Amino acid sequence: MKLLFVIRQTLNNLWRERTPVVATILTISIALTIMIALFEVSWVLYNELHDLKSNMVIEVYLDSQISGTRARDIQEELNNYNTIDRIRYVSKETAAEIFLQEFGENINDILDENPLPISFEIRLLPAFNHSDYLSLFKKQVENIPGVDEVHYRHVLIEKLETLTEAVAVAGIFVLIILLFAMNLLVRNTIKLSVYAKRRQIAIMNILGAGNLLIRLPFILEGAIEGLIGGIFSATGLIIIHKFIESSFALVSFSSTMYKMLWVYTITLGILIGLLTSAEAVGRFVNKIFSKK
Amino acid sequence: MIQFSNITVNYSYVPGAVKDINLKLRKGDFTLLLGPTGSGKSTLLRLIYMDILPSEGIVTIDKWSSYRITPRQINLLRRNVGVVFQDFKLIENMSVYENVAMPLIIEGYRRRYIKRLVHILLDEINMLQSANQRASTLSLGEKQRVAIARAMAKNPFVIIADEPTGNLDREASQNVLSLLERIHQNGTSVIMATHDYELIKDTPYRRIYIENGQVLPPARTIATPKTRINLLTQTE
Repeated sequence: MKLLFVIRQTLNNLWRERTPVVATILTISIALTIMIALFEVSWVLYNELHDLKSNMVIEVYLDSQISGTRARDIQEELNNYNTIDRIRYVSKETAAEIFLQEFGENINDILDENPLPISFEIRLLPAFNHSDYLSLFKKQVENIPGVDEVHYRHVLIEKLETLTEAVAVAGIFVLIILLFAMNLLVRNTIKLSVYAKRRQIAIMNILGAGNLLIRLPFILEGAIEGLIGGIFSATGLIIIHKFIESSFALVSFSSTMYKMLWVYTITLGILIGLLTSAEAVGRFVNKIFSKK
Repeated sequence: MIQFSNITVNYSYVPGAVKDINLKLRKGDFTLLLGPTGSGKSTLLRLIYMDILPSEGIVTIDKWSSYRITPRQINLLRRNVGVVFQDFKLIENMSVYENVAMPLIIEGYRRRYIKRLVHILLDEINMLQSANQRASTLSLGEKQRVAIARAMAKNPFVIIADEPTGNLDREASQNVLSLLERIHQNGTSVIMATHDYELIKDTPYRRIYIENGQVLPPARTIATPKTRINLLTQTE
């Protein structure tokens, strides 16, 4: 009977304050859509950066006149770095083959000799693939006698890192504003519901109703607003994803991704509604008790 | 059963709303609290259902003591005390049935039991035909009868009535008093605050006079009850 009463009270609250309830649901759904879209963009950027870094090769070119013995000594020296995952020795001949593969011409035919230097292709351990360490590593290796130049795609790495950082900072900033807006609206709706029922709350308190019975309808109200907001947001996000899929042939999203989108968006909506309303109802109901 | 020991209540806006009151109310009694508005009657009644706690002294209600009562125990106490107010305190947008059923819903009774009990209670106050009527549409006398039925729903050991006839005409007031008397005859204690001397003048119940937050000595008040009450009503 208590459960029935709570459900009836919840539905009654939602119907009575329908204008602010609709405003809250819309805000939750828009804010959730923006939040999750921002998260996805950050995630894609982060993964791109991660992939690029994982596959990144540092090329160490040796002086063109260097002897084979000195080249092996340099390789030994590089082996002492415990930040290196793999080293590949690229002889002058291998370099000429790579040139042939990439440009379709034999370097010996063009210049009558092979000017390509001996080099090493180095892959660092994933933890050290960031611009700070890369520039330090480049400096250290370039100081080794016999090393002519160290090359990696530092401009791209730095740009991607800056972009990811900017998206993350902007994301957190937007997230804070959106959470604040959602919190404000859910609180306001709950406040209206609580004040509309302040007399009933005071009477129930006199009749011996416990805190949970008094507060639960308002907490559920917030959760339902979050649930509906979450459903709208998930629907909107799925429409956006389908549109992207149909517009760009290379982009496709798995069915698991769509399922996750439903589950996470709706769960997040419910959680936001639940937590905000629980906090708000505690505050406003206590105010009524203290004024009684 | 209900005991006030050296009770003083200070409100922030009225220090000494009641001062050093010692009082014992016996089980099964019908007690009348008499005195002018602002004398401290309502404060004493609020202490019984622990809507307020004393600034000094201890109130003991059955097995509960204000000295060491927790919020959860206050809720339990309130489920065993029926309260009737001058302004009825009904939930206006709910039906008569729902208002009377409220204490039973709070207690978590089954729907079928609630239905049966509420029908008995409404029959008792002659309002069975108004069960589905909204409380806001009732006359003042009907509202007070519903409030009494609600107070009786949990079969409390005591009914507290704070000026229950304050808003009612003579006939409705008489009906309310008769209803409370019937409840008392069935073994429930009743404590009623009033300043309607005409209504209670022929009743045989124990009278406690309160003035300026203090219980007046019985000898002084009993000697000239009518004069005193008349005087008090004129002062208002």
